[in-house]
Amino acid sequence: MLLVILWLIQDFLTVLSGGGMQIPGLFMLGIVYKLLFDDNSDGSLWAIWSAFAGGILWDLRWVGIPGFFTLGNVVVILIVIQVWGAIPPQGRTGGTGFLVFILMEVSQLIPPMLPVLILGGYTGWNFFLLQQVYSLPAILVTMYLYLKRIRSSGT
Amino acid sequence: MENTRSNTREWVHGLTALILALFLLGVSSGLGIVKNIVDIWGALLIIPEYPAVVMRDAFLSWRSWSRDKNSLNAEVIKLREENAQLRLDLAKLTGEKIYSQDVSPDIKTARVTLRAPMSWWNEIRIDKGEIDKITQGLPIFYNGYLLGRVSSVSTMSAWVELISSTSFMIPAVIEETRELGVIVGNGDGSVLMRYIPAGRGIKSGMKVSTAMIGEQLPPGLPIGKIAGEISSGSDGYATYKIDPGADLSRFYTVSY
Repeated sequence: MLLVILWLIQDFLTVLSGGGMQIPGLFMLGIVYKLLFDDNSDGSLWAIWSAFAGGILWDLRWVGIPGFFTLGNVVVILIVIQVWGAIPPQGRTGGTGFLVFILMEVSQLIPPMLPVLILGGYTGWNFFLLQQVYSLPAILVTMYLYLKRIRSSGT
Repeated sequence: MENTRSNTREWVHGLTALILALFLLGVSSGLGIVKNIVDIWGALLIIPEYPAVVMRDAFLSWRSWSRDKNSLNAEVIKLREENAQLRLDLAKLTGEKIYSQDVSPDIKTARVTLRAPMSWWNEIRIDKGEIDKITQGLPIFYNGYLLGRVSSVSTMSAWVELISSTSFMIPAVIEETRELGVIVGNGDGSVLMRYIPAGRGIKSGMKVSTAMIGEQLPPGLPIGKIAGEISSGSDGYATYKIDPGADLSRFYTVSY
């Protein structure tokens, strides 16, 4: 439910900006955040397919060709699963903050980069770079929430 | 063992999703059905996106209105300046006496923030001060007529001495006869013009304005009209009652 709300907020803000500014990928930040605390024994399949579904819906709404954000989202989730999975649960403390920052940054970097790489264009790169700047506050807020939760859980 | 199985499952699902995404990317651009799906999905999102559309449109219309207003203001200022210049040129051609302050387009307004009952006819406080470039002695107008002059200024407010004040004494001229006198208030709301030589044919309705000999106020500022003679002393000078152009009882905003 949280992911649906985040997707809708991201869509809402994109409509509100009227294309004037690039909105941070709140949906992907939400998935990555949830994934960091995921202890589901069935693995993180929900994350893969949520990212896939969110990406395809985003493509249908804003790109017009399904596949761009779908592919980027899935790639991000696979990277996060592999990198985060390599760290034992006991080691997932506040000290991994920088790694978490990198993972969140990856979630903002890869999905919007694919359309620019494939379709190209000077304007596309400008928009991409702007989105990275606008994403930073959202990443920092998510980092804050992560560290707060880590501290409150005493690890 | 369980962990390895879970990891394998993640890889299988992940790779499946990747292949599906690549497949979609490869084939969907050529499929007509994708356009239909895009349209349907867009139509479904109209409901959650509606507030954003309304807010964006409201902002855009406000920005457009603001730009139009600024543009109109600039146009009005330009036209005022042109009008002022034309009036001055016309006055030169016709020989009419006109002063630049009469046609100045740069008129600002101030709100009256205090008029104490104890000094009702003497002074008022306005909401403009040093930061608005108000200076001591600056003439203050109401309805285009002299209302008083600034007696003291602080950062964000100023006190204005009214023409009905007993201490407000300025030289003035009767425009029709060029007779000079002194404008002074009597403290109860009346404005008088003193020291006019008696028997000079001064009539009611003649216009009174500030005189050239005054140092504090520029000449030609309209004050009002002669209302009638009050007294003619044995010293040969008459006192006239002035009907001020500025209504001293009904001003809430003034100009400078």
